[in-house]
Amino acid sequence: MEAATAPAVAAFHVTKKFPGVIANEDVTFDVRVGEVHALLGENGAGKTTLSNILTGLYRPDSGWIEVLGQKAEFHSPRDAIAAGIGMVHQHFRLIPTFSVAENIALGSAHNPVAGRFDMSAIEERIVALSESFDLPVDPRAKIWQLSVGEQQRVEIIKVLYRDARVLIMDEPTAVLTPVESEVLATTLQSMARNGRSVVFISHKLGEVASIADRVTVLRHGRSIETVTENDVTALASLMVGRDVESVKRSTESTTQSLAASTPVVLEIDDLRAVGDRGLTALDGVSLNVRAGEIVGVAGVAGNGQRELVEILAGLRRSVSGSIRVDGESLENGSTRHPIRLGVSYVPQDRMGTGLAPDLTIAENMALKKYRRPPVARPPFIRQSVIDAEARELMERFDVRAPSETTPTRRLSGGNVQKVLLAREMSGDPKVLVIASPTQGLDVGAVATVHQLLLDAAESGVGILLVSEDLDEVLALSHRIAVMYEGRVLDVVERSDADVQRIGLLMGGEMEESA
Amino acid sequence: MSINDNIFVVIMASAIFYGTPLVFASLGEVLAERSGVLNLGVEGMMLLGAVAAAWVSTNVGGPAFVVLPLAILAAMVAAALGAAIHAFLTITLRVNQIISGLALTIFAGAAGLSSYLAGIWHLGQSPVAHQFLRLDVFGLADAPVVGPILFHQTLLTYISWIFVLGASFYLFKTRMGLHLRAVGESPQTADSVGIPVVRYRYAHVIIGGSFAGIAGACFSLMIVPTWVDGMTAGQGWIALALVIFGFWRPDLMLVGAYLFGALSSLSLTLQARGFHISTAFLAALPYVMTIVVLVIASNASSRRQLGAPAALGKPYEREER
Amino acid sequence: MRRFGFRLEPRSDLPKWLPWAVPVGSFFAALLVGAIVLGVTGQNPLSVYARIVDRAFISEGAFSGTLVSATPLLFTGLCAAVAFRIGFFNIGGEGQFVMGAIFGSGIALKLGADAPGVLSVAAMIVFGAIGGGLWALIPGILKARFRTNEIITSLMLNYVAAVIATYLIFDSNSFWRELSGSGAVFPKGKVLPTVAWWPKLDFGSIIVPFGFLLGMVIAGWLYALQRKTRFGFEMRVVGGAPTTARYAGMKPTRVVVAVAALSGALAGIGGATDVGNFRHILDPKGLQQSGFGYAGIVVAALARLNPVAVVFVAILLGGITNAGYALRGPDFPAGLVGVLQGLILFCTLGGEVLARYRITRSARPSGVETTLEPA
Repeated sequence: MEAATAPAVAAFHVTKKFPGVIANEDVTFDVRVGEVHALLGENGAGKTTLSNILTGLYRPDSGWIEVLGQKAEFHSPRDAIAAGIGMVHQHFRLIPTFSVAENIALGSAHNPVAGRFDMSAIEERIVALSESFDLPVDPRAKIWQLSVGEQQRVEIIKVLYRDARVLIMDEPTAVLTPVESEVLATTLQSMARNGRSVVFISHKLGEVASIADRVTVLRHGRSIETVTENDVTALASLMVGRDVESVKRSTESTTQSLAASTPVVLEIDDLRAVGDRGLTALDGVSLNVRAGEIVGVAGVAGNGQRELVEILAGLRRSVSGSIRVDGESLENGSTRHPIRLGVSYVPQDRMGTGLAPDLTIAENMALKKYRRPPVARPPFIRQSVIDAEARELMERFDVRAPSETTPTRRLSGGNVQKVLLAREMSGDPKVLVIASPTQGLDVGAVATVHQLLLDAAESGVGILLVSEDLDEVLALSHRIAVMYEGRVLDVVERSDADVQRIGLLMGGEMEESA
Repeated sequence: MSINDNIFVVIMASAIFYGTPLVFASLGEVLAERSGVLNLGVEGMMLLGAVAAAWVSTNVGGPAFVVLPLAILAAMVAAALGAAIHAFLTITLRVNQIISGLALTIFAGAAGLSSYLAGIWHLGQSPVAHQFLRLDVFGLADAPVVGPILFHQTLLTYISWIFVLGASFYLFKTRMGLHLRAVGESPQTADSVGIPVVRYRYAHVIIGGSFAGIAGACFSLMIVPTWVDGMTAGQGWIALALVIFGFWRPDLMLVGAYLFGALSSLSLTLQARGFHISTAFLAALPYVMTIVVLVIASNASSRRQLGAPAALGKPYEREER
Repeated sequence: MRRFGFRLEPRSDLPKWLPWAVPVGSFFAALLVGAIVLGVTGQNPLSVYARIVDRAFISEGAFSGTLVSATPLLFTGLCAAVAFRIGFFNIGGEGQFVMGAIFGSGIALKLGADAPGVLSVAAMIVFGAIGGGLWALIPGILKARFRTNEIITSLMLNYVAAVIATYLIFDSNSFWRELSGSGAVFPKGKVLPTVAWWPKLDFGSIIVPFGFLLGMVIAGWLYALQRKTRFGFEMRVVGGAPTTARYAGMKPTRVVVAVAALSGALAGIGGATDVGNFRHILDPKGLQQSGFGYAGIVVAALARLNPVAVVFVAILLGGITNAGYALRGPDFPAGLVGVLQGLILFCTLGGEVLARYRITRSARPSGVETTLEPA
């Protein structure tokens, strides 16, 4: 490491405020040439805002950025790219209908001729890059044909193609299998050895500790400390700023398995379905949930979890197989029948699927009961009942909003989830299907949501919890089902869950190699 | 009877003649739509172009080879100004593109600004002084079959062919075309690699508008050729349908334009030849055809993504998370 | 790289007066721009406006004439308002209006001169609604079934409807066509029997067409439908969030089809009103020239899709139209009505943005920042 030379990129006293929120406050850190530098922090700690400042999407309210010791001012992403800073976003910025080469050449100054572009020259350059950095990819393939891991490679080459010396990677492993993550780690380290710098944004302690040379911890928008630490527990307490053990306390209630006599409320038998592209998405899934039980479904996104929950909610039709709720068979593809049978569903896409953003909290809370009395007095609805029930639910579920007539799009993520849970829990459901319940929520809201789920199970609701966050699944579930390529590979009791083994199962045991 | 009086030759020749404004208008629209902006103001912009061209042709002195290019230029500018209003409202103010486009057509259209301007300029009382006449290219106008169809058209038709080739090349073979398509597919992605989304959208909506102006000039300088209120008679809407019909590809749109041109001329030609067929049926045919094609295209496109820009109709706000 | 010198920030608080101030302010802004257009083209804006106001609202019988012009706009305005609210962009009000006129006049002619007047009028309303409703069902079902873009299909059907009306009167010996007397020489429609002429109610100095009263009642009914019923609740959800609607057990496609039919029925009643209350004859040329369907979209947009507000906006724009007819002549520019309508619409659309966003000057690199919370 050449500590003597100026840092590849550095931020000094950067502050960025949004109306009502301070996203970054007095953040200072530097990235050396040839190092992998992690930005560690919880959701909402200001990591993404900081990376957006480094890549020219935002300008800081105060503070400044230096590149190789020179003060730099970015007016747009283009300026940041010109200064050699490139970003690989968590949600890929790729155009599915374009080829790999087209996506990489997009907006780049590296087009040999300004007017007509020379595809073969572009492709050559891509092949050269992919060979020297060991990132195999076919430049002529269309993006939609590629796996998630391959798409990420395209994103990385896209940044390298622009001669970036600093790569900022936002939660790069969130979408990858454990095996793919390991390959990525090797790639990043080899890039660092080649004189590039990598800024690695993550909240996963383990990978930060193993990949990064140095770690800057962000908490509540402030840079707490830059350390060379690779002890997970020490990093954890820096990150959360409190006793880590508190997170694990909630698990005790679920470590004991339920009595075998507890009735089964959800019975999925040999369910098969195809996904949006017409490929097999569910390949014979069988799974039971008993009353008062939380069954966690772990797995990397895209292994059939979405299709499974959509079928349970009636938003998608299955090809074959059966679903029984409390003994009664669920109609295929009906959204009303699950509601009638007491299946509640909290979708991952809360605003897009769960709520009508422009409608009020009260109206959203009435979404599933507007059809029946007391809310309805056909053909009319009673606004006064809707409002009164909403006020009561807001109280009970601690929804913080000016009033029940506030449109839901004005609410914070935590309150949005509370509105959804309030609605879904209020109809005395037998089964609750919930997908990624705490994604994007702040720490306080995560704790509230977890408590609500535990309370619901306590009161006898059978819960199917689908989450990519393995820690969450481990913390809440009685049993854990691991999904891989449309199948449930195994269901294990929480008490004898082996994290190592679940991780391997999520990657399809050891068959998959990137 | 010469082979060139054969009904298919006559209809093909007039299909190209009547299809020419559709080619220009749909090319203009495809540029806007490829950038992600739907512009329903085509009809209004065409009428603005038509009235501006009619004014220049009537009032500017000089030989035709000077006046006609000026008239086309005026048509382009007039229509582009109309498009600029739409661009400002939809791109900068992020107003609903459908309503804004309709507003443009109402503002500029048959009972709006074009008619107002024609009124105060006293247009429409006589044919325009200069018009685009049919040419005899390479002296082949009388050649069997191909003569009337390919070599006996006006200059505007030949220009439209160059435009189709140019637009195809631009969209699919140049860097700017690639960037344009990226803006229409995913403005977020385009922005993240430094393509100026807003500038691209403005430029293509406005240039697209100027094409609609040429389409309007086709009516007042070539087809009619004088000013009549509302003279484009709904062809601007057909142009919108053609973009979908041609899957956002200039070459296919050209085919579609001539198909619709053929249908428009079919009823006249058949009647002139004494066929007993209801004119009403034939008059309705292009519109019904459009609906049928749309149904087929929309169904197929939902399955196979035939080229509809993914971000079409959506205003772009930088997602700042 | 320089971008625009201002940006839009969403307002966190909406002052109570804003929803009212915006349309009013937009209206005056449009008048101002219109005055510039008039001034530049050598007219005296003040005198043109004064004449419009006079002939629309003030002079003898002007307001009665304005209500006549407002009646079709009221119906086509409601047609657009109801459909646009759920995101069904029905711009086929024009054709649905024509089909309503064809069906309405057809039943009146069929019932003949001996039928009771009440029956004739009621039947015309029902058949007008059926005619317009069926015509709007075509784009509605195509959208629900094939996801076909309703804008283009409903628009194409406007032309088809016009062709049908023309065919009935000019191109065939249809039931609607007058074949005796002067009709044998010059094609025209049969005059409806006088029992089928809708009443005009005389309130002293103002004569109110029955059709206008009917439209007002329907506007009130629509308001109640949207705010107070289960179907109205479904409309709100489907309009704002179709995926959510499906998730909540609603059937968005059914709601869309039902609203399409309702929307078309409203325009269709407008068409029946047009023959029953005013023309008493099926007049394809007159229908085609009027452009009521498109003007209805202006009305709906200016009324912010609120059915009750549609009534007032229809009167306002009806006044401009009425004055335009009355003043038509060498010293009154043609096309001005469309220019003013278009300008009002542009200004309202722009004004809406001012209502929703706060505009701040900024030297920021980005055009727009909207998300409040950082991730």
